[in-house]
Amino acid sequence: MNLTFSPEERAFRAEVREFIATRLPDDIRRKMQAGDHLEKDDYYRWQRVLFERGWIAPNWPKQYGGTGWDPIRRHIFSEELSYGWAPRLLPFGLSMVAPVIINFGNDEQRARFLPRILSAEDFWCQGYSEPGSGSDLASLSTKAERKGDNYVINGTKTWITAAQWADWIFVLARTSPVEKKRQEGISFILVDMRTPGVTVREITTIDGGHEINEVHLENVEVPVTNRVGEEGGGWTYAKFLLEHERTGTAGIAACRQMLTQLTELRDREDIEDRRFDERIAEVDIELTALAFTELRVLAAESAGTRPGPESSILKLKGTEIQQALTELALDAGGPYADVALARHYFNLRKATIYAGSNEIQKNIIAKQILKV
Amino acid sequence: MDFTLSPEQVLLRDSVARFAASHPANGTRPDYWKTFAELGWLGVGAPEDVGGFGGPTETLLLMEQCGRGLVASPYVSQVVFAGSVLREAGRTDLLKQLVEGKRRFAVAYEEPHARYDPSRVDTQAQESAGGWTLHGTKIRVLDPSTADTYIVSARSRDEGVALFLVPATSANLERSAYPSEDGHDVAELRFDGVRLDRDALLVRAGDGLEVLEAGIDAATAALCAEALGLCTVMLETTVEYLKMRQQFGVPLSSFQALQHRMAEMYIELELMRSMAYFAAKTLEDETDPFARKRGISAAKAQIAKSGRFIGQQAIQLHGAIGMSEEYKIGHYFKRMSFVERLLGDRDYHLRRFVELTYSAPREAVAAAW
Repeated sequence: MNLTFSPEERAFRAEVREFIATRLPDDIRRKMQAGDHLEKDDYYRWQRVLFERGWIAPNWPKQYGGTGWDPIRRHIFSEELSYGWAPRLLPFGLSMVAPVIINFGNDEQRARFLPRILSAEDFWCQGYSEPGSGSDLASLSTKAERKGDNYVINGTKTWITAAQWADWIFVLARTSPVEKKRQEGISFILVDMRTPGVTVREITTIDGGHEINEVHLENVEVPVTNRVGEEGGGWTYAKFLLEHERTGTAGIAACRQMLTQLTELRDREDIEDRRFDERIAEVDIELTALAFTELRVLAAESAGTRPGPESSILKLKGTEIQQALTELALDAGGPYADVALARHYFNLRKATIYAGSNEIQKNIIAKQILKV
Repeated sequence: MDFTLSPEQVLLRDSVARFAASHPANGTRPDYWKTFAELGWLGVGAPEDVGGFGGPTETLLLMEQCGRGLVASPYVSQVVFAGSVLREAGRTDLLKQLVEGKRRFAVAYEEPHARYDPSRVDTQAQESAGGWTLHGTKIRVLDPSTADTYIVSARSRDEGVALFLVPATSANLERSAYPSEDGHDVAELRFDGVRLDRDALLVRAGDGLEVLEAGIDAATAALCAEALGLCTVMLETTVEYLKMRQQFGVPLSSFQALQHRMAEMYIELELMRSMAYFAAKTLEDETDPFARKRGISAAKAQIAKSGRFIGQQAIQLHGAIGMSEEYKIGHYFKRMSFVERLLGDRDYHLRRFVELTYSAPREAVAAAW
């Protein structure tokens, strides 16, 4: 057992840190520190910087333009992005659809889509949830009917982050009616957002922000060649994607940053209150426990194990901690809590809902780990 | 970063597991010392030249299995705690005797109203011709009845805390032994003018507290590992029971309210596991006492919280059978409840963590992480 980073890993960390410090545009760093919303152009500019350095796709295999890093280096890189106040890499293209295309798509699809995801020429969004299908995703009713070489898609997808910026959307749609299992007959289809019949309606969230949207698909015609994998095999790919999504949602390094800001706020506001300090300490300690849990998952991954149901813990505890930190920051502000602190607190309520609500994560733990 | 165990570590873990499985998990505690000595387990963490091997990770593996088997032996107090103090004090001669099972030491540091704080010492050591005289009271001394020597903290003039070796049979030493709430051997010791030789001084005044705290931290890490073992069994037992127990014509485990409770127990258990390993790593890596104390307090605070939750839920989900003395879950629960408050409870460690984090100079905190 060796629970320390090697000298090579520490050198790698230093290299990444130095790169971010010198190459992240100052205006973006300031926005991140202030907790301001970023624009598409902010993400674009930063992703271009990483693309040019060859660091844009940490979790892709090297042959497709990935970095070829092991799980530990990917972890270090992601930590350093947070510590350096860099924007997160928008996951919808890079870490959601791309791994699905790489694993289940064909060569033509890989050649067509992967390079444009790498270069940030294409922004993507995720068409999973529907007005009638949230946690019960398999109940989805968006239909894709075969008409010659095309699918005709009808339905509504909702709560879609960054749809207003996206060039493409990956959609789960029913290609055959429910017969036995609801999970069967669902396909994974890639849709160009400029296709006639695609409309985006903005949804304002309780923090006043515009991150999410509703996407209507009305007689949208898409070539059958835009389907990834087998017709009717979409559920398998969707689950594969969700497991990857959960590992990335713990946001531990980002929480460390929030914790640092919180203690600075505490000092600025002159809060000398033992109870308040103990509340911070409890979160601090849980964060330490979760960070160590993440290292255990990473070590298992390095040893060749795919992220399994254990990633549910990371999602579940990580999002609870993110919320606890925004709550403490709001309380630290007290009567002087500014609108930004409140907005952040309101906004982060989403964390325990998205990527499979925390209640769903508990179902997963009960079923897949405890086997009840 | 590699969590795989070496072949030697696997061997140790498995042999302790076999031993623990043969021990009846019903709250009884035979004295296994001779067996422990023969198997070499008294040497874990001691230097090789006195017959020792391994370090904090080996202690963790051993204690986790002891927790699983509910082997509530004097191991933490007499091997980990006393052993660490003797090592820090540089007394390899005594450590060797400990490893061989020839001598047994119990550490007496807690005092009335000190609330776990080892620096609050009222016991006095007066220097006199040819030796020392001790006056004072120590509470909740762990495993005193099987120890031949006590390691006692006391103040000497105004020079700070010193540590003394006190024979258990000393005159003017009154021992009131009693079983703790989980049946563990504890005692209050009263020193009413106990006369000691000059060489009874183990650590001189001023240096005693640091040595003592190093021992407390090592023992706390071991308790974290024991708690991990205890809680693993409590969760496993609860899950098995709920799958088996039928009510309303279905297994209890089919109810989502209960599934979610078990999932919450599992999450807490995984946080405990991480913190037990974190504690071992902290002891292994941290040469700076500041960082060591901070890390150990973080671990114990988390483990006390998670352990209390898992224990309470294990009883609750079992229902009335969980209240029965005949059934095993209650014994694990009581042991966890005791371990939770040994060497500092959640509040104590949370406060120590706060003091070391938010009240300390920023540079010191930065250096510690």
